[in-house]
Amino acid sequence: MVSVINTVDTSHEDMIHDAQMDYYGTRLATCSSDRSVKIFDVRNGGQILIADLRGHEGPVWQVAWAHPMYGNILASCSYDRKVIIWKEENGTWEKTHEHTGHDSSVNSVCWAPHDYGLILACGSSDGAISLLTYTGEGQWEVKKINNAHTIGCNAVSWAPAVVPGSLIDQPSGQKPNYIKKFASGGCDNLIKLWKEEEDGQWKEEQKLEAHSDWVRDVAWAPSIGLPTSTIASCSQDGRVFIWTCDDASSNTWSPKLLHKFNDVVWHVSWSITANILAVSGGDNKVTLWKESVDGQWVCISDVNKGQGSVSASVPEGQQNEQ
Amino acid sequence: MEKMSRVTTALGGSALTGHTMHCHLDAPANAISVCRDAAQVVVAGRSIFKIYAIEEEQFVEKLNLRVGRKPSLNLSCADVVWHQMDENLLATAATNGVVVTWNLGRPSRNKQDQLFTEHKRTVNKVCFHPSEAHVLLSGSQDGFMKCFDLRKKDSVSTFSGQSESVRDVQFSIRDYFTFASTFENGNVQLWDIRRPDRCERMFTAHNGPVFCCDWHPDDRGWLATGGRDKMVKVWDMTTHRAKEMHCVQTIASVARVKWRPECRHHLATCSMMVDHNIYVWDVRRPFVPAAMFEEHRDVTTGIAWRHPHDPSFLLSGSKDSTLCQHLFRDASQPVERANPEGLCYGLFGDLAFAAKESLVATDSGRKPYAGDRRHPIFFKRKLDPAEPFTGLASSALSVFEMEPGSGSMSWFVDTAERYALAGRPLAELCDHNAKVARELGRNQVAQTWTMLRMIYCSPGVVPTTNLNHSVGKGSSCGLPLMNSFNLKDMSQGLGSETRLDRSKGDTRSDTVLLDSSATLITNEDNEETEGSDVPADYLLGDVEGEEEELYLLDPEHAHTEEPEYVLPQEAFPLRHEIVDTPPGPEHLQDKAESPHVSGSEADAASLAPVDASFSLISVSHALYDSRLPPDFFSALVCDMLRFYAEQGDVQMAVSVLIVLGERVRKDIDEQTQEHWYTSYIDLLQRFCLWNVSNQVVKLSTSRAISCLNQASTTLHVNCSHCKRPMSSRGWVCDRCHRCASMCAVCHHVVKGLFVWCQGCSHGGHLQHIMKWLEGSSHCPAGCGHLCEYS
Repeated sequence: MVSVINTVDTSHEDMIHDAQMDYYGTRLATCSSDRSVKIFDVRNGGQILIADLRGHEGPVWQVAWAHPMYGNILASCSYDRKVIIWKEENGTWEKTHEHTGHDSSVNSVCWAPHDYGLILACGSSDGAISLLTYTGEGQWEVKKINNAHTIGCNAVSWAPAVVPGSLIDQPSGQKPNYIKKFASGGCDNLIKLWKEEEDGQWKEEQKLEAHSDWVRDVAWAPSIGLPTSTIASCSQDGRVFIWTCDDASSNTWSPKLLHKFNDVVWHVSWSITANILAVSGGDNKVTLWKESVDGQWVCISDVNKGQGSVSASVPEGQQNEQ
Repeated sequence: MEKMSRVTTALGGSALTGHTMHCHLDAPANAISVCRDAAQVVVAGRSIFKIYAIEEEQFVEKLNLRVGRKPSLNLSCADVVWHQMDENLLATAATNGVVVTWNLGRPSRNKQDQLFTEHKRTVNKVCFHPSEAHVLLSGSQDGFMKCFDLRKKDSVSTFSGQSESVRDVQFSIRDYFTFASTFENGNVQLWDIRRPDRCERMFTAHNGPVFCCDWHPDDRGWLATGGRDKMVKVWDMTTHRAKEMHCVQTIASVARVKWRPECRHHLATCSMMVDHNIYVWDVRRPFVPAAMFEEHRDVTTGIAWRHPHDPSFLLSGSKDSTLCQHLFRDASQPVERANPEGLCYGLFGDLAFAAKESLVATDSGRKPYAGDRRHPIFFKRKLDPAEPFTGLASSALSVFEMEPGSGSMSWFVDTAERYALAGRPLAELCDHNAKVARELGRNQVAQTWTMLRMIYCSPGVVPTTNLNHSVGKGSSCGLPLMNSFNLKDMSQGLGSETRLDRSKGDTRSDTVLLDSSATLITNEDNEETEGSDVPADYLLGDVEGEEEELYLLDPEHAHTEEPEYVLPQEAFPLRHEIVDTPPGPEHLQDKAESPHVSGSEADAASLAPVDASFSLISVSHALYDSRLPPDFFSALVCDMLRFYAEQGDVQMAVSVLIVLGERVRKDIDEQTQEHWYTSYIDLLQRFCLWNVSNQVVKLSTSRAISCLNQASTTLHVNCSHCKRPMSSRGWVCDRCHRCASMCAVCHHVVKGLFVWCQGCSHGGHLQHIMKWLEGSSHCPAGCGHLCEYS
């Protein structure tokens, strides 16, 4: 079902904390405790180091690619409390902006859907989430949500761009009236949904409670042909929840437990068509999950039954369905 | 918060106990030093010089050494050190250059013992010899180091660093005569105490001032130095040339460095400014602190491990006027918070996964996946819980690819490129697309296309005698539209997505959910009304191995326009004798909510291969003859499109939408269509399928989509008079206020087709310019430009 096509020799000197592929799936950015961010060309199974970005003074936790319509832009956030936005100009990568508005480690960065312009959400251990909006000519406007999560924010993820009503109903010549939303997960065991009000301020719209320990990652599913909104979240408590909101007007979200793992779950990542969820946990295993006909999430990654230790993670009943 | 449990070290039978605690001082501290009994600590600063007892729950002030009515500058301490052999002996370095020794054994209130006023500027550091009771060393801002014998009134020897200020002096623990000194210019010097004339060795350790150094308590050749360049370096001094062993990169300049007792690779640092935290580093893990103490609110000025053999207790003094005792197990551990894994779902369904290398290593020995391309998704790695912080951490980064069908997106690209969406008759498009899908192993999709063809195209002449195709004998029938599928293949291709989510409450809710190993779909429809002129026969093959059930569906399609046409039952050979089938029809018909009169069994067409792994679908050609209005199926087709979209195959939804055009468009609301289109176009663009994307935009029936092409086209026009770019809309230049669209040939305003040279901005009526260019290649406006038109 899955096979290793490439083991990238990153030559990072310490642990890698994040790896992100760009919009076209041709480049891979990695970041590490060794303070560097590296970009590799991974086309055709290759692995050519394109850039080694130095500028952070602490471990770099996460990287995020912006939509290519704005050029080749990468954001990185670090333990050194900084967010750096890197840009490729004429083949060389340079730092274009440095955001130093946080009082503690910045744990997560995520670019908004391209339809909104260049907007970056950053979640920090100081509990705040800041939103950087590019206003042109090298200027970035900062909005900060203080005390978004007590103790700290671990993850941010934007909702896909959705326009209320049809595109052609929008007033012509103006930007469509998008409803901007994102989800964040934090050390208060909560997932919060944030919505931009008409006055441009960010308001907490929802609080999703189900986890019993730090929320490590949240991922809003891409909206491809799906009528519902879906968020995946994972936590220190080993559980992964799938949150769905069928009716946008009532805005009620219902959680469904995907699985309880034996260890911390660090990451959840949706496939491009949002029908497969990849989950990676503290037991250093990646599993792929898919919703079955009856709405249950089943592990579709091929369990090698010969290796007994593995099967513990997949309940017996689900294995049979594969 | 994660906490690392650590057993309190037993120290010769009596264990140190205590809590993380702090006490308020009257003034900012500059330095602290611990008595060798680990029960008292001295705090010194500009206006404080006190001894505190470290008790179980708190610090208790024992003695204030600042006595006398008017404070002397001699009491303004830059550094303090408690003798490690003599509990009564302390030395302080004063900011005015005086070195003072204190004897706690003196009976009077004033414990001051000796005063050495030899340095001209601030003394930065004082240090007792580790084994010699009377030897004291000092290092000063004036660039000199002095060695005192406490039994004498003056210094024994003076060492000149021949450079700027001395920041730190430390006696070696290994060599009786050796001490190290660090300088503001980045140098470290090694001296023999017997040879004040010149240093034994000198090397540049840091870029900028070296603020501190510390000899390793066990690995005695190791010296740690910390500098303003935010680095801590560990040097091996035993070799001929000082060799840099480790380099720790901290966040701020390093003011103090202290090796952690009993932990060979750990050292504690604090910073001179900006950062108020104390960090404990594993020198092998130079980027992430192993532990972090965050209690102080201002710069930490002094750190000391409470006992030379206990790694748990750290004392610190700070500019925020507090004295703290930190317990290692209460420290926050950034490493624990750090995410050890990176995971990303790539565009092509590939998965990038980075995980800690040490974990990988245990796995690589096993090589369980070598040669087996199907199973390597699980790579379980064992973390060694005993040593959560061993050595240099590194990660392995792997990219995994999905095999087709499970998540790889190669089908998407192939399909997008090969599908025909327009320009041919519907039947051909459907056939072509079905063929494409089949070649890519996407049988469900192929079948859908075939059915669409059947639904929307009249097939021409079909021999009525072949109304029923026995599936098992399908191949022998030689019918052009016979579709047969090997279900095994199909289920592989489709994975668990093989299901047709019919509109809820529809006929076969039970049969829909088949075992994911084999599922089939049919486009049978039970919603129609009375009358049956022609039976449309679909076979639903379910290959659930154990049951070998076959469902037979025989919906009878109503056709109100031809009510008189009734097919005699005899026309349909009964095939029910074929094994195991009986449960099928009844079962389904019971479920059917449709009002139609369930066709007599005689109407049912037949089929049924008994082979569990092989089943076929047959579609009665009679369907074509019925001339059912395609509208009749549109609800079903819409459901089908929604199903595909929900499955993430928005490609199918959009392709069908385009191919069928008006036939289904009206049945799906505009917004959904737009959403499908935008999703699909976005996907195509991600895969760099620009041509396909453009074609889709062009073919889209949705207004909002088809205008996308125009939205991204820009014309840049220059005014033909002033040659400046036309900024406003329309054809009047803002600057020269003339109409720019004048024909250079006839000098009239051009209405309609206007052609102009991109070089000189002159142009005119297409006809005129064409005619002009036949005779001359120069600009008709007379500007002399050799115009080029392409």
